[in-house]
Amino acid sequence: MAYQLYRNTTLGNSLQESLDELIQTQQITPQLALQVLLQFDKAINTALANRVRNRVNFRGSLNTYRFCDNVWTFVLNDVEFREVTDLVKVDKVKIVACDGKNTGSNATE
Amino acid sequence: MASSANSHPLPKLYKSVIEDVINDVRELFLDEGVDEQVLVELRTLWESKLLQSKAVEGFHNDEHQQVLQAQREPVQVQQPPQQNQNQQVIPPATQQVPQQQVIVQDSKILQHVNASGMSAAATAATLALPTGVGPYQQLVTSQGQVLQLMRVPNGTQYIIQPQQHVVLQQQVLSQMQPGGVQGPVIQQVLAPLPGGIPQQTGVIIQPQQIVISGNKVPPNTQVSTQSPTCVQPQAQQQPPVVQPPVMLQVDGTGDTSSEDEEEEEYDEDEEEDKEKDGGEDGQVEEESLNSEDDVSDEEDQELFDTENVVVCQYDKIHRSKNKWKFHLKDGIMNLNGRDYVFSKAIGDAEW
Repeated sequence: MAYQLYRNTTLGNSLQESLDELIQTQQITPQLALQVLLQFDKAINTALANRVRNRVNFRGSLNTYRFCDNVWTFVLNDVEFREVTDLVKVDKVKIVACDGKNTGSNATE
Repeated sequence: MASSANSHPLPKLYKSVIEDVINDVRELFLDEGVDEQVLVELRTLWESKLLQSKAVEGFHNDEHQQVLQAQREPVQVQQPPQQNQNQQVIPPATQQVPQQQVIVQDSKILQHVNASGMSAAATAATLALPTGVGPYQQLVTSQGQVLQLMRVPNGTQYIIQPQQHVVLQQQVLSQMQPGGVQGPVIQQVLAPLPGGIPQQTGVIIQPQQIVISGNKVPPNTQVSTQSPTCVQPQAQQQPPVVQPPVMLQVDGTGDTSSEDEEEEEYDEDEEEDKEKDGGEDGQVEEESLNSEDDVSDEEDQELFDTENVVVCQYDKIHRSKNKWKFHLKDGIMNLNGRDYVFSKAIGDAEW
């Protein structure tokens, strides 16, 4: 099963909100919504792996780090993200990273 | 096409993901016996939320924005096909007059009162906007002013003119009886604006029986001719009741009782001022009381700040003393409210 990691993104959250609205109006069942989300997980994982081909560099100072259940969570401060085209600076950023090896056992939770 | 893909890779990616997901779940929907229409609605909701978030630049850029602009230019009050609602005051017949006037009702019933030369405020006021209108709509009146219509769930409607700072309050009583004549439909309270509205200071539609059903020809002309005459004498009487310019009333229907309450509050404020001047002890207590009332600004800032998040997978995380190196891949970032993606990211940080 693909990582559910990407549900907390703009794309994923807007999908979840839309599904919630349909559940509210009882146009779909929660079970069906869950199936849709699982399908979304697969689709986004595939898309990112195959359709994206760009590279980003970043530099900053590490505020906190955590490694639990094979998931790294970092909080960085005063970070600069650099791409070929542009530069983005943020005061604070949280990075959540799942294991990139193809085990993908992060299905639940 | 290729150049656009390079400059805005994100919208295409998102669209392709949406396509894939929708197509893949179509079977699931059919298996569950859910109508295709629901699937379409899901897609519409999803895309509209993406648009609203403004996190993606150029999402549905050309096509959708053109459609949006096209919807705003022709003067249309959006009449959703909610014809089954009994609470609708006016039968849902949206008509466009070539002169670009806002017409909400059937032409027999209430014609646009533009001919009488009323102001934009008056014009919108006479339209008796149905409760079936969505919560937030835009009206473009005959004079080209864009009014914003807000509908609060309790049935009260507010029209906000951004230019003139006039807040009109309309109450549409949803006392519709099927096939019958309605009771007093429209009440209105206007805040007169000195020099704001060119011609008239306001329109008051007295509770009249406005026949909405299609059977009778209503006293349309009566409405239009009576209101101008009604306005002037009442406008003269109203200046003393000047309300603060931009007033969004969040509570229920605007009655005269609210004016009384405001007067009482002013009296109480005066009394409090006298007490403050009186004793120091009272002053200290009130300061401590007031300090508890303060809502810290920081909370608001935190609420409005985007949490910059990167969701990705890690290839390798390396540390040497306090120097960390990150090798990441397949990530979606939301920085300063905007979305970015990467296939690879390399970073350095000191702890």
